Amino acid sequence: MTGVVVCTWGMGRAGGPPAGTEELLTLARKTARALDSKLHWLVLGPLPNDAAAVAGRYGVAGIDHVADAKLERFQADVHVAALAQYCRAKLPRLVLVGQTHDARLLAPRVAGRIGAAVVMNGMDVARAEGGGLQVTASAYGGDTRVAYDLVGDGAFVVGVNTSVLLPEPDGSAAVPVDTIPVDLSGVEERIRVTARAVTEGPRLEDADIVVAGGRGLGAPENFRLVTELAAALGGMAGASRPIVDDGWAEPFRQVGLTGRITRPTLYVAVGISGASQHMVGCAAAKTLVAINRDPEAAVFRYARYGIVGDCLEILPELIRVVKT
Amino acid sequence: MSVRIVVCAKEVLDPDAVNNYALEGRLTIGDDGRTLTQTSIPRVMNAYDEQGIEAALRLREAGLACTITVVSVGVADGSEILKHAAALGADEIVAIPLDQTTTDHHGIARLLAAYLRSSGGAGIVLCGRQASDDDQGVVPALVGELLDMPVVTVARSLEALGEGALRVVRVTPDGDETVEVSCPAIVTISNELGTPRYPTMAGRMAARKKKATVLQADSLGVSDLRPKVVLARQFVPAVKGECEIIGGTAAEAAERLVARLRAESVLRS
Repeated sequence: MTGVVVCTWGMGRAGGPPAGTEELLTLARKTARALDSKLHWLVLGPLPNDAAAVAGRYGVAGIDHVADAKLERFQADVHVAALAQYCRAKLPRLVLVGQTHDARLLAPRVAGRIGAAVVMNGMDVARAEGGGLQVTASAYGGDTRVAYDLVGDGAFVVGVNTSVLLPEPDGSAAVPVDTIPVDLSGVEERIRVTARAVTEGPRLEDADIVVAGGRGLGAPENFRLVTELAAALGGMAGASRPIVDDGWAEPFRQVGLTGRITRPTLYVAVGISGASQHMVGCAAAKTLVAINRDPEAAVFRYARYGIVGDCLEILPELIRVVKT
Repeated sequence: MSVRIVVCAKEVLDPDAVNNYALEGRLTIGDDGRTLTQTSIPRVMNAYDEQGIEAALRLREAGLACTITVVSVGVADGSEILKHAAALGADEIVAIPLDQTTTDHHGIARLLAAYLRSSGGAGIVLCGRQASDDDQGVVPALVGELLDMPVVTVARSLEALGEGALRVVRVTPDGDETVEVSCPAIVTISNELGTPRYPTMAGRMAARKKKATVLQADSLGVSDLRPKVVLARQFVPAVKGECEIIGGTAAEAAERLVARLRAESVLRS
């Protein structure tokens, strides 16, 4: 058993590493040090821009690169096969993946295939008192935290919710890139995509300012106020799941457990009650502002600033003030 | 021919009740450091699994010749959630009793896989996207690996393409994606499927007579369920609770808020 491996695939902003990679590497470096072992970063598919430089800032001992034409875009069977083959060859003790939608399927499937144990929704991995590993994760939609002991000498796969972590660069070492061979020739994707989800333009995940609306807007046409304030602030408009379900806002705007995980400087939650499923998608905001008619709304428990009142009165005023 | 649909269901503490206690700051953990102590929180079927049953019923209503079996690990004969499944229209209900603290998700998946294997397999296995207590969502994928079945996650709707394939609309962060998969396949269902139905009175009456098939782990040939993932502790996270309420009229509050955000350089202009 050797070491800690962070596994990523795909690209983030400007062709760089996917969102959350630096946060994940920070946690992995800490865990590798606690285990007195090395940290490797496994990239499945095309190498993101600046991967070596990023690796150098986060104490990565080496980048392991698995390149194959089948890994150009995420396909579950192919990516599971690639990671499982890597694990069988390198025998990592701990594999960490950022918990994207795709990772929610990939992590347990790889674990099942290589006989590893798996934990999702991880927020921290540390050494327990007995010397073994312990994962802290969220449960009950965020209402509780759980600590799981990872028992035995086998391998573990942990999905990490990187939106609760902060990146802490440290140093700037040169990091070698090793190409790791895998054989994916026999892997055929069993799930055929016949209509792909289409997104164009900027992504909420990358936005520096997000203004998100919920049911408290009262009527579909009022979502326009959210869009206007977002535009005035140079940010993007987001939405809660209920109003996306009801067609007030486009699906790509949905923030939360089943939508986007944002990490903006400023997040303004308008008419959003603060259900934990939504807060998952904005907990990483540096500053959270809540506007809600109900002073008891859960969203105020998470917010830095709050305005209690009718968002239909407050939004036009905010738009006016921001424009001046 | 008829397709066998098996829905996997888990009994959980009602997450809405848990959430209400949490919002009131009254959620407490017992002396064991692991268990929620509020005895007034009802035990219910995981709502995502209930949507799995709903998805099965909709396939039947859409004309698919099928039988629907609902299986649950960790409940006993007479389980309320299995009665509920029968009342909704399950043809067969199966209980695999087990103290869930003695195993982990891999153990649960092995039991479900052993059940599926020993009962003649299934054309379609439906599960909730995750359980609302631990939120892990790993059991369907683990069963898929154990039985070498493809796993389609987070479905909004499904449609049978004859008896041998499914068309599934998946919810993704980029919007809906449509996929096709050959059976046997596992599909996990999300809340986007829509509100599940209530049992009819006739369904409830019929369910009273329905007995669960009870299977023990050893009769399924599964031994050594010792966990590698052990719940050591559960706790209620501290809430920030440092929100500063900005008062005044709408205009005043807007001006004060923007001034604050500019002063703190959260807003640059």
